[in-house]
Amino acid sequence: MNRKLIIDRNSPLNDFGGRVKKSRYLLLMIIPAIIYYIVFCYVPMYGILIAFKKYYPNAGIFGSPWADTSGFGNFAFIFESDKFWQVLRNTILIGLGKIVISFVAALLVALLINEIRLRFFKKTVQTIVTFPHFLSWVIVGGLVANIFGTAGIINNTIAALGGERIRFMANDGVFVSLIFGTDVWKEAGWSSIIYLATMAGISPELYEAADIDGATRMQKIWNITLPAIKPTAILLLILSVGGILSAGFDQIFNMYNSQVYDVADILDTYIYRTTFRERVNAGIGASVGLFKSVVSFILVIIVDRIAKLSGERGII
Amino acid sequence: MRKFENIAYLPLRPKGSTFDRRIGPLDWVIFAILLLYAIIIIYPFYNALLISISPEKVYLNTPFLLYPKEITMDNYTTVFSSTQLWSGVRITLILLFLGTAYQLFFTVITGYALSRNKWIGKNLVMNMILVTMFFGGGLIPYYFLIKNLGLYDTLWVMIIPGAIDTYNMLLMRNYFASLPPDLEESAKIDGANDVQIFFKVYLPMSLPMLATIGLFFAVGNWNSWYNGMLFVETQSLKPLQLVLREMITTSASSVETLGQKATYSEGLTMASVFFSIVPMMCFYPFLQKFFVKGLVVGAIKG
Repeated sequence: MNRKLIIDRNSPLNDFGGRVKKSRYLLLMIIPAIIYYIVFCYVPMYGILIAFKKYYPNAGIFGSPWADTSGFGNFAFIFESDKFWQVLRNTILIGLGKIVISFVAALLVALLINEIRLRFFKKTVQTIVTFPHFLSWVIVGGLVANIFGTAGIINNTIAALGGERIRFMANDGVFVSLIFGTDVWKEAGWSSIIYLATMAGISPELYEAADIDGATRMQKIWNITLPAIKPTAILLLILSVGGILSAGFDQIFNMYNSQVYDVADILDTYIYRTTFRERVNAGIGASVGLFKSVVSFILVIIVDRIAKLSGERGII
Repeated sequence: MRKFENIAYLPLRPKGSTFDRRIGPLDWVIFAILLLYAIIIIYPFYNALLISISPEKVYLNTPFLLYPKEITMDNYTTVFSSTQLWSGVRITLILLFLGTAYQLFFTVITGYALSRNKWIGKNLVMNMILVTMFFGGGLIPYYFLIKNLGLYDTLWVMIIPGAIDTYNMLLMRNYFASLPPDLEESAKIDGANDVQIFFKVYLPMSLPMLATIGLFFAVGNWNSWYNGMLFVETQSLKPLQLVLREMITTSASSVETLGQKATYSEGLTMASVFFSIVPMMCFYPFLQKFFVKGLVVGAIKG
């Protein structure tokens, strides 16, 4: 061994103590974060083992027996159950539907608001339409029930006119439409802000030049506004695909009922219900959860590559 | 100046141009669509308010109640006399103040540390944090973690696990990194250490950004119910939103839990729901610009 190298003051290994000392205050500030992420993010990753076990809380993660000899028994079980595939299909349909519908809605709202010239009206509309974003789905669920529920205003009207009350919330088609509709109601205004901010950054000279050329309003929207927000829109659209399997637990959980499980049950609600309500072995819920985590992770990687290929900065 | 501008340029502005201030038919169409949109947003709130102040008979028999026919405060007096609701408010207020301060402290301090140049292990910590944004253990392992930590059915389960919000932490980090580094250098020359520099130099400069992120945390805490639903069994520890949720989903029983008076479940539920929206309605118009700023900053830099 070369002795000289070991006592070299410039060697990064040798200066370790010195560097720790130099950054000791920053290290002090980061210690809570390290503990936090290890305890609340990395320990649950160790808990993924539950997905391969028949879990008994008293025996703990380590003491519980494997689900079967291969360890993949829980996965075999869920992949063979029709319910799982139904739930997965619901998740993808609702997730994808929401991405498309919300994207179009937010864009439309932004274009409309951007075209208003009356400053006061613009501000007021914006305040009103962004407000529902700040309510919880608990509240929105309650408001929805009071309009579409059996004792809601629509049914009260039907009843007062002499008709039969209709269980809207128990109807598959109506319920799925309501999922999309309420999502737009709650989020479209807020999502439009990002596009409005991009629109505000468009140089007025472009519009002036278009005016001189005699462009109509529609032509200006089509040829100036839309191309200007295209990069932002594409990036947001691509990125939202990464979260497709989280189709919105809060929303569905606060709106659904047992009548519409066939179309409204998504992975997250299924995991919650089987484990905590129906008391199915936690290994099953954990394996569905792991499936979701892994697929979502792969989706994020793919989506990131696509974003980078299309010339945008990615997320990773 | 302004007058001159108008006289000089008005004739040059073609009809229908961006700088033409006249209102055309298309403007009326846009105006009408947005007005309708705003009404659709407002109506459910108005409906909730109407139901909450109407007696049951009027509520059930009037198709599309558009204005209060008969006003009663019974629903509100019942709601306000319920210990359940006030205990929910109490817990939510604790979450709102304690939780927000706690989240803000750890999120901001972590963001600051990660914004500083080269300290030993920085890349390792950064990668360790980024991984958690894209991969997690899922609900079931998390549930057993909470049980094992002894947080189950305590107030702390709704506060402690929220210490650092990775997204907002990275926002803070980018913000601190964008501030001039000379400040740090001159403070170092004066003999200040990193903790002192953070609290005395960078923190006072970042108050608007802190307010923005703090408001998002505050809204999150006001709306918090999920952790409570999963991990809290004691009735007196449930936050407001969870109390409301139980009222809404078990609509029929809200009369039993809340009222002995001449009240009905929809009226009571809506009175409670409306009660929980009012603070937000009062503050939101004034705070809107902070929220918008937070969103826009995040989208551009995050």
